[in-house]
Amino acid sequence: MRILIVEDATRLAALLAEALAKHGFASDRAPTLSAANDALAAAAYDAIVLDLGLPDGDGLEWLKRRRSASLPPVLALTARGTLTERVAGLDAGVDDYLTKPFAADEVAARLRALLRRPGPRAAPILSAGPISLDVAARRATVSGAALDLSRRELDLLELLLRRAGAVVSKDAIETALYSFDSEVTPNAVEAIVSRLRKHLDEAGVQGVLHTIRGVGYLLEDRT
Amino acid sequence: MSPRSLGGRLALGLGLVAVLGAFVLLGLVALEYVVGSDEPLTAMQLAHEVADHVVAPLIILLGLVAVAGAMVIRSGLRPLTQAAIDVDRAAQTAPRGVRIDHNALPAEAQPFAAAVNRLLARLDAAAEAQEAFAADAAHELKTPLTILSLELEKLPGEVAKGLKDDVAALSRLVDQLLLLARLDAQSAAETPRELIDPKNIATDLISALAPIALKSSRNLAFEEVGETTFLGRREAVTAALRNLVENALRATPEGGTVTVIAGPGPRLAVRDEGPGLSPERVAELSKRGVRADHASPSGAGLGLAIVARIMTAHGGALSADAQRRELTLDFNTLEGTRP
Repeated sequence: MRILIVEDATRLAALLAEALAKHGFASDRAPTLSAANDALAAAAYDAIVLDLGLPDGDGLEWLKRRRSASLPPVLALTARGTLTERVAGLDAGVDDYLTKPFAADEVAARLRALLRRPGPRAAPILSAGPISLDVAARRATVSGAALDLSRRELDLLELLLRRAGAVVSKDAIETALYSFDSEVTPNAVEAIVSRLRKHLDEAGVQGVLHTIRGVGYLLEDRT
Repeated sequence: MSPRSLGGRLALGLGLVAVLGAFVLLGLVALEYVVGSDEPLTAMQLAHEVADHVVAPLIILLGLVAVAGAMVIRSGLRPLTQAAIDVDRAAQTAPRGVRIDHNALPAEAQPFAAAVNRLLARLDAAAEAQEAFAADAAHELKTPLTILSLELEKLPGEVAKGLKDDVAALSRLVDQLLLLARLDAQSAAETPRELIDPKNIATDLISALAPIALKSSRNLAFEEVGETTFLGRREAVTAALRNLVENALRATPEGGTVTVIAGPGPRLAVRDEGPGLSPERVAELSKRGVRADHASPSGAGLGLAIVARIMTAHGGALSADAQRRELTLDFNTLEGTRP
């Protein structure tokens, strides 16, 4: 995986590149937007880590101008991270946000999550820790050993894997698993989650599927 | 009418002119009768003549002058009243850039309106400058903090862990100071209220904080006691709730759960599994204002002062129930339901 880090604080960029290398990302650094343009012209990147305040311009403006050309997913680094700022960023085409100061693990986790998103760049195999899922073949494994899952359980696992490390709301699960006309009993989702959790427990991965009561579920992204 | 009212002064002036004029006229006419007549009139005849031909028409004239004067004064001052209504209405909907339309005002009031407009422009600029300062300061402070924490990540051992916690605390403090600056800028700019769904705010916040909480072996949960919406500033309400949840996570032992409860009514509560803050302690912490020189042992520090400030701005209150280990944000319904 090759990442472009667009950040004017060179020491920060160097530290980030060093830390990401440990997570298996190779990264190039661009201290300005024009350097970023050059780098993008010269090589193909899987993702961009973009600081929003750069010496030769605003990161969001640059992104809006570049969006016409196809860009890899963008993880924005920001000092503020207010709601209005995040909304503006998402409108401009930012895929995810991280507020400074951040831990290197967090950057790596967000990048992995971006690369898992569906679309032309989607990996055919999703994984989080020892759990992996071959999306096309509908086959799930834990440390190589196959899991025997029903169709709905596989769908749920795919949903959770795509957003591993983040909360997936119960509503989103209901919408994804059931068509509009089918009758959903209030605790249908809970039942599937608890069956999937049991399968994972039996396969030896315990305590990775968390319930955030009243909100949704989270599959840990252990590395 | 009070002597400070423009209309009052005009009316007084017109009245004086009319009364003085009437007396002068009366005097002149009386003189004419006495000097200019061939056979002198008796005092009785003189009084009758004057009353018939002078006093009666004068009273009618003065009556008409009074009515016309009142109408002229009222219509002359109407643009001022209307301008005040317009400005009030504009200030309620537009956050900034409210100006008086001085073309609609009488020429005499235009310099005053223009001066007020210049003042409003300066206030807007000051609010913007403060926000820009907060943004710049955030950027300037956060980048070195990030570098520091990334450097520390590379170090093994207990000392590095302690330093990492210090950096985290420092960064929290920077966040809160910047939040205060932003809130001040917003209230200076009269950011408008919007319809808020507390469930939405709570679940968004929980989704954002859950990954971090789970990493430190604490969980989050949400409960809804009756659906409700109220008017408020979304960002400020989120910031208040976030401060409470973060405090609660620090106070809760490992394996514990922090629960956010929405309702009943326009309120949000946060329940932790820590020792609980007494109402007296909450009042004390809320009062401390913007002072960073105290490290509170509960880790609540500046946070609660910010929360209290947000609540005051919303016409609500922060209250504590030590027994139920809950801190509650009550948003004023009266204030809240007004558009």
